[in-house]
Amino acid sequence: MMSITFHQAVFYFFSAIIVIFSILTVTSKRILRAATFLLFVLLGTAAFYFILNYAFMGALQITLYAGGIVVLIIFSILLTSHVGERFEPIGWGKMIASALVSLIGAGFTLYVLLNADFIPTQAPLPDASVKNIGTALLSYERNGFVLPFEVVSLLLLAAIVGAIVIARKEPHDTENPNNE
Amino acid sequence: MTYSIISIMRQELGLVVIALLVLFFDLVVNEKNKQKVFLIALALFGLHTLAGFFPFEGGNLFGGMYSTQPVHILMKNVLNIGVFLVLLMSASWLKTPQIANKSNEFLMILLTTLSGMYFMISAGDFLMFYIGLEIASIPMAILAAYEKFKSRSEEAGIKFLLNSALSTGFLLFGLSLFYAAAGSIYFDDLTRTLSQPSPLVALALTFLLSGLAFKLSLVPFHFWTADVYEGSPMVVTSYFSVISKGAVAFVLGILLFKVFPVFEGLWQNVIYTLAVATMFLGNLFAIRQKNIKRFLAFSSIAQAGFILLGLLHTDNLGIIVIIYFVLIYILSNLAAFGVAQAVYAASGKENIEDYNGFYKTNPRLALIMMLALFSLSGIPPVAGFFSKFFLFTAAAKAGYYWLVFIAVVNTTIALYYYLLVVKAMFINPNPEPLPTIRSDKYLRSALFITVIGIFLTGILSPVFEYIQAMVDKF
Amino acid sequence: MTGLVYDFSVITQSIDHYLVSHWGPSLAATIEFVLVGILYLLIYALVGLMLVYAERRICAFIQCRLGPNRVGPQGIFQTIADFIKLLLKENIRIERADKLLFFVAPFIIIVGSFLAFGTIPFAKGLHALDPDIGLFFIMAATSIGVIGILLAGWSSNSKYSLIGAMRSGAQIVSYELSVGLAIVTMVILTGTLQLSEIIEMQRDGWFIFKGHIPAILSFVILLIAGTAETNRGPFDLAEAESELTAGFHTEYSGIKFAFFFLAEYMNMFVLASVATTLFLGGWMPLHLGNFETFNHVMDFIPPLVWFLVKVFTVIYIIMLFKWTYPRLRIDQLLSLEWKYLLPINLFNLILMSVIVLLGLHF
Repeated sequence: MMSITFHQAVFYFFSAIIVIFSILTVTSKRILRAATFLLFVLLGTAAFYFILNYAFMGALQITLYAGGIVVLIIFSILLTSHVGERFEPIGWGKMIASALVSLIGAGFTLYVLLNADFIPTQAPLPDASVKNIGTALLSYERNGFVLPFEVVSLLLLAAIVGAIVIARKEPHDTENPNNE
Repeated sequence: MTYSIISIMRQELGLVVIALLVLFFDLVVNEKNKQKVFLIALALFGLHTLAGFFPFEGGNLFGGMYSTQPVHILMKNVLNIGVFLVLLMSASWLKTPQIANKSNEFLMILLTTLSGMYFMISAGDFLMFYIGLEIASIPMAILAAYEKFKSRSEEAGIKFLLNSALSTGFLLFGLSLFYAAAGSIYFDDLTRTLSQPSPLVALALTFLLSGLAFKLSLVPFHFWTADVYEGSPMVVTSYFSVISKGAVAFVLGILLFKVFPVFEGLWQNVIYTLAVATMFLGNLFAIRQKNIKRFLAFSSIAQAGFILLGLLHTDNLGIIVIIYFVLIYILSNLAAFGVAQAVYAASGKENIEDYNGFYKTNPRLALIMMLALFSLSGIPPVAGFFSKFFLFTAAAKAGYYWLVFIAVVNTTIALYYYLLVVKAMFINPNPEPLPTIRSDKYLRSALFITVIGIFLTGILSPVFEYIQAMVDKF
Repeated sequence: MTGLVYDFSVITQSIDHYLVSHWGPSLAATIEFVLVGILYLLIYALVGLMLVYAERRICAFIQCRLGPNRVGPQGIFQTIADFIKLLLKENIRIERADKLLFFVAPFIIIVGSFLAFGTIPFAKGLHALDPDIGLFFIMAATSIGVIGILLAGWSSNSKYSLIGAMRSGAQIVSYELSVGLAIVTMVILTGTLQLSEIIEMQRDGWFIFKGHIPAILSFVILLIAGTAETNRGPFDLAEAESELTAGFHTEYSGIKFAFFFLAEYMNMFVLASVATTLFLGGWMPLHLGNFETFNHVMDFIPPLVWFLVKVFTVIYIIMLFKWTYPRLRIDQLLSLEWKYLLPINLFNLILMSVIVLLGLHF
């Protein structure tokens, strides 16, 4: 029994981290701080995967979100903003209204979720070893993921081509500097 | 398994191959011949469109993750026709100097988004559905921002991207709740395990519907529509309002009819409310618009409201009328956009006032525009009348008399503002009407096809019977 | 099986048994966490100091100088003295900097390299972590570091720092790709990500011999890209002294500066250890085919010694790089990655797959 409570303690610890830093992320007045707090939220989520013995997903979360997305976010902040910048303060009316909406929404969702009777799955816990994940990723049977895996590459290709098209400097861009 | 993939997924594979070929040709041909890639793409896509009509067996692949049946093929074919017309209309725009050096990338991205819609329609589980939806929306933001030398266009891209990210958030949350409720994301598992409505399922369905309502720009999720439509290049606007809307409508039909028929009682009320709100708001705001793109944007919001009527009749008839309606909507709306595109390409004007006295100088274009607007509002004998008529019949058969009544009232409102444009073109005096426009052969052939379509799809009963036959095989 | 003599898991397990029998599993786990943590922190700092000393001596010899030679025999206590000096120095408070992020940044960097450090197998049974995703875990952990660099550069509110951080961010993000692909190439050969298994597979021959051409190629790529990822010369333009003072850590002083310094050296150590584990057999002794006597003699050298000798050889190569080649420009740096390393890497990946499929490796 002792080990269960230990587990729970770790779980609650990381939950608290996630909740606190999520709130800080949306309330921070400085954009880079918000991004950093977001990083901690994402790392906290990765910790959950590690607690669940799903190390692959945890490492993936760290690589993709911490190493990839947050770096991109921070990079774009670095290019566009300055240390001294602050967000405009939000008016009381807006703050109360948005707090109300989110509280009601969260309360309603929580109410539904806590009262729902989830069907416990009969299937045995899948083996989350790297080998199995790799096989499932390239399997075309049921519960195999080769189709989405390949189709996502289409999305990436289109996004890369599009990003180049949008970002590329063109002779026409400078012709009419004052736009329209 | 190995060879059947090619025959079953032929439409997706064909389209992806065309998209990649465009990219490849763009890499290998020299600067002078870049424009010719468009011809290759057009020819290949035309062949692809025609090939779609050859009857082939459908089937399931990847353990149910992908499934295609005659009805799915039909939906893809309808979209193909629309995209082919859009391609024809885009010819002159792609030749403009600011766009010319990135015209082939445009084609590639456009075709990729279409392939996303294919995958979305053929999805057998929520993962493929979601990926298809993303392919159909993220690159779309690039298309919206394609005229990046205009701040309006950039704004449209950003607005679309942010809105689609928000709606995706809703959608994904809904999907995760479905997974929580059923323990699977395969559609067949969902229909099996979720046998009776529960609060959890209702919540999940709400989020899913909100996410899709964003994409379909239903009221109250429509705020992005007018700005994005106005800012995007005309070709992209027509693509947005016709193809992507049609695809989402199809998918909504498939999801509600085939995956969640058990929860009919839950979602029918939602659809009912959304339909009423969408029709009224779309129509009332359309009256106030001065810009032809914004005008068509709000008219397309209203049209989406009409599409929802078809969803209320939950058997094959519902799907039949939706496909039929979308087909005719594609033809009529593209005709309107084609004329607007011709005017914009020739004069750079896109306000309704500029159309005053249009008939004097451009009688044929004015007639096409009038036909298109009549078809959109549903005046006999053009096709729009029949599609609306069938839609109302389906809703009435399902017992929604009040809704049909509301829809009829809305049709009348719509008629008023469509006629405003017609009046501008034919009656309003204008000392300096637009000069006579001579558009290129692609646009003219596109308009020709749409006009033929507007007349024939309504009158010829084989079209409706063909759709019926395809859907009944489902 | 003489190799079993040096199995450290016997010791660690007996300690574990002792702790569990006295305090129960939960408390024992906590105590172990603390013990291992302290031990690793000590090793971490000591290895770092050693590396700093080594670099200064090697650099000096390459430049025909003597380097530190006064404090202790051959000057080996020099870096310890320097470290104490850094500890005692004032932590300068920067006005108009983002103080929170300025404070957090060095810790993020240290955490990243420390996590990776924890997975290094020093000898059989001598590692803190051995997840089945080993290599992937190391890549994930090291990818956190770049955030610390970017935050440090931005929060200092200084243009040198900002430019340094941007350069190093672009560099790390690009070269991470090559490091990852070089590792993936080897994973095709190993078939596993777990470090202990990878080493076990090299009992009868190191992977650099077993995988011949593609393995050697990816070893070279890993060294080049890894050097770039650790921001070391000739890829150290993020902290190019002549133009940017000290790059992203210009404004740092005292112990926080020491953190950056330490993390850089430890990242190099982690890189060398990964290279050693993947290509040079980790702590496995050198075995030559059927020369029984030779193999037995080699077995008597403790694995820890084997490991450290190999790691320091790799580190020596990396240091040679730094002091031999001139610094690259940013455009050269990026074109090296995107136009040369990446295509070679992708080609190498395919080559390795073909070789593994056809069974052409040893």
